[in-house]
Amino acid sequence: MAHEGHNALHDLLAVRGVTRRDFLKYCGSIAAALGLSETMAPQIAAALEGAPKLLPTLWLNGGSCSGCTESIAQVDSPDVATIVLDYLSTNYFETIMAAAGEQAEKQLSDTIAAGGYLVIYEGSVMTGQDGNTLLVAGKKGTEILSEAAAGAAAVIAVGSCAVDGGWVYGYPNPAEATGVQAWLNHEGITTPVVNLPSCPVNPEWIVAMVVQLLLVAGGDVATFVEKTEWLTRSYTDRKYGAVDLLMPKGIFGQSIHDNCPRRGHFENGEFVTEFGSKEEAMGYCLYKMGCKGPQTFTNCPIVRWNRRTSWCVEAGSPCIGCGGLNWVDNNAPFFHRLSDMQMGDALGNVQPGTVGAVVGGVAAAALVAHGLGMKAAGRVGDGPPMEEMKAYDRKRLAKKGGDK
Amino acid sequence: MGSHAHYREAHPLVFVITHWINLICMVMLAFSGFYIHFPFFSAGFMGVARGMHFVAMYVILINLVFRIVAAFFVKTANQLETREVDTDIKNWLPQAENKHQLVETLKYYLFFRKEGVISGKYGSLQKIAYLATVPLTFIQAYTGFAIYAPFADASFLAAGTTLVGGPMNMRIIHYFGMWVFILFTMVHAYLANIYNFAPSKIIFLWKETLPEGKH
Ligand code: HEM
Ligand code: HEM
Ligand code: HEM
Ligand code: SF4
Ligand code: SF4
Repeated sequence: MAHEGHNALHDLLAVRGVTRRDFLKYCGSIAAALGLSETMAPQIAAALEGAPKLLPTLWLNGGSCSGCTESIAQVDSPDVATIVLDYLSTNYFETIMAAAGEQAEKQLSDTIAAGGYLVIYEGSVMTGQDGNTLLVAGKKGTEILSEAAAGAAAVIAVGSCAVDGGWVYGYPNPAEATGVQAWLNHEGITTPVVNLPSCPVNPEWIVAMVVQLLLVAGGDVATFVEKTEWLTRSYTDRKYGAVDLLMPKGIFGQSIHDNCPRRGHFENGEFVTEFGSKEEAMGYCLYKMGCKGPQTFTNCPIVRWNRRTSWCVEAGSPCIGCGGLNWVDNNAPFFHRLSDMQMGDALGNVQPGTVGAVVGGVAAAALVAHGLGMKAAGRVGDGPPMEEMKAYDRKRLAKKGGDK
Repeated sequence: MGSHAHYREAHPLVFVITHWINLICMVMLAFSGFYIHFPFFSAGFMGVARGMHFVAMYVILINLVFRIVAAFFVKTANQLETREVDTDIKNWLPQAENKHQLVETLKYYLFFRKEGVISGKYGSLQKIAYLATVPLTFIQAYTGFAIYAPFADASFLAAGTTLVGGPMNMRIIHYFGMWVFILFTMVHAYLANIYNFAPSKIIFLWKETLPEGKH
């Protein structure tokens, strides 16, 4: 079996013109994504080469912009990531499959019937109008997810939308979008869900999960879930309440800020205050431009994007925190340090600094006015004349007197 | 009140020192906090600001714990104009003289009554404010540690971060916490000095104010 896999991989690599050296190098970068040492590269290569069989996979799209699909499909030259992803035998993938119509839907139902498959879910779960906000082949998106997830070995929720509703969930959320885990909790489906937030998902992370599945678990999903180092991030969905999300610790365990190449400038107090400025040209820190790196926990600075070419902050944009939870409401406006506070229709969205300054200013004015009052009342200097007895006791005495 | 006696027994030297530490730490924390919130000048200062914050936050916590423990051992004057002492905690918490006086104190400060109000060592409002600084400092420490990377993952802190909807909201709460302290300090410094500077002389310089004929 292993031998067959070996050949299969060699063929795939050869067809795409990838040398074994490139392949090993790539395995090293996966090791980094998984939080492993680069010396693990040969073991990762061996796991890939020895992978016994393809894993049937369904790629389902919910309320999505297809950006995550775009993100994994951006390859313009032979790329090892696609080869690894070829280990997933994708039986259904709305955006890019060749099949269409009833034939495609049959592949979906056949795969579900056969069981033992993986679901990759992209986009939010659209629960609005009793699930009618998203229909595919005449069926509610929510039902498709429930059916597919119930029989799956595991679900990978890719991109922020699948994780917690993403920007679709942003206030006021008329489609009542939510995340996969929140929906499955609501449906009582206990299939494990692996969450990979950010907008879009970083393809390297999916690859890392596939490698992890092959490497530590020999393709067995239960072992994979058991043996991977997870962290649990929790949030409260406005409609479905508290949700616990399973995320790979190697990817989401550290803040962007702590691994950022501009961090030296941050510590030195060297900041960009304006785009197009000299400071920007010198690659100063983007904190004052609203960088959300300190509050965002992903390994973007290590794994980077577009086949490890660059990433937001390296390319000159402040991090907008897309790898966080409820990220739009929590991070808008993107070019301000703290998010706005949503104060209803009357006041609109207000920056915390404005609130602080207004309250502080009003208090200072009130104290000055009070001080003038104290002066006018003649209390300043020696203080007021003191009462002989507490008002409470006076009243009580007066009452007693009246009773007599 | 007024130009009445201010004896050292009201604030023994230890508490003059704890008060100084409080003041210095608060100034350091608020200044560095403002800078961390928005670096208003660029002179290689962020590392210093964070360092300042991270030192002062431990000092103020240790100082607070010390102040609370000391309250059970140190004796302080049980009224402002006396050298008669009692265990400090009794004078810190509301005293018998403060009973039924909160509303009257409010009326007094809002100019609804003329005469000053009988009080314990401190007036009712003052006591509430001084006591409130204790939980407030702990809340500020909690929200501060929750956004401090080396501690943020501890489940005791992470649970709070989840409760408020993530690290961004925690930062905003911490930021507002600063404003609460600024407001407290404004009102506190105002009320302490509105009649005259005798209270400040004792709390900062440990200098007594003795009106004619007293000693
Ligand atoms: C008592 C314990 C305290 C702890 C443990 C603490 C901790 C922290 C930490 C870790 C940060 C983030 C620094 C960074 O990420 O670089 C911070 C920021 C800040 N702190 Fe504190 N702090 C404390 C007290 C205070 C106090 C008393 C004040 C104000 C009087 C204050 C005001 C601020 C402000 C304004 C910020 C900036 C928030 C922002 O806009 O991001 N802190 N603090
Ligand atoms: C006004 C007085 C001083 C100033 C402005 C000053 C400034 C500095 C600066 C800027 C650094 C480099 C820090 C860094 O790169 O992170 C440094 C390092 C150092 N300073 Fe000072 N310093 C002063 C006084 C002193 C004194 C009095 C001593 C010792 C008695 C001292 C001992 C050191 C040591 C041991 C280092 C670390 C060198 C290293 O291992 O990199 N400094 N100082
Ligand atoms: C401009 C700054 C300040 C001034 C002028 C000031 C002044 C005073 C004065 C005059 C007293 C004695 C009150 C009396 O005997 O009637 C006092 C007590 C006190 N102050 Fe302040 N203070 C300042 C800042 C602070 C700050 C920043 C804090 C803490 C956040 C603080 C906390 C206290 C407490 C808790 C007491 C009660 C005495 C004790 O517990 O030892 N003060 N202050
Ligand atoms: S650019 Fe952003 S992530 Fe990088 S050091 Fe500055 S604030 Fe931190
Ligand atoms: S750096 Fe920030 S904005 Fe960019 S992809 Fe990562 S989490 Fe999203």
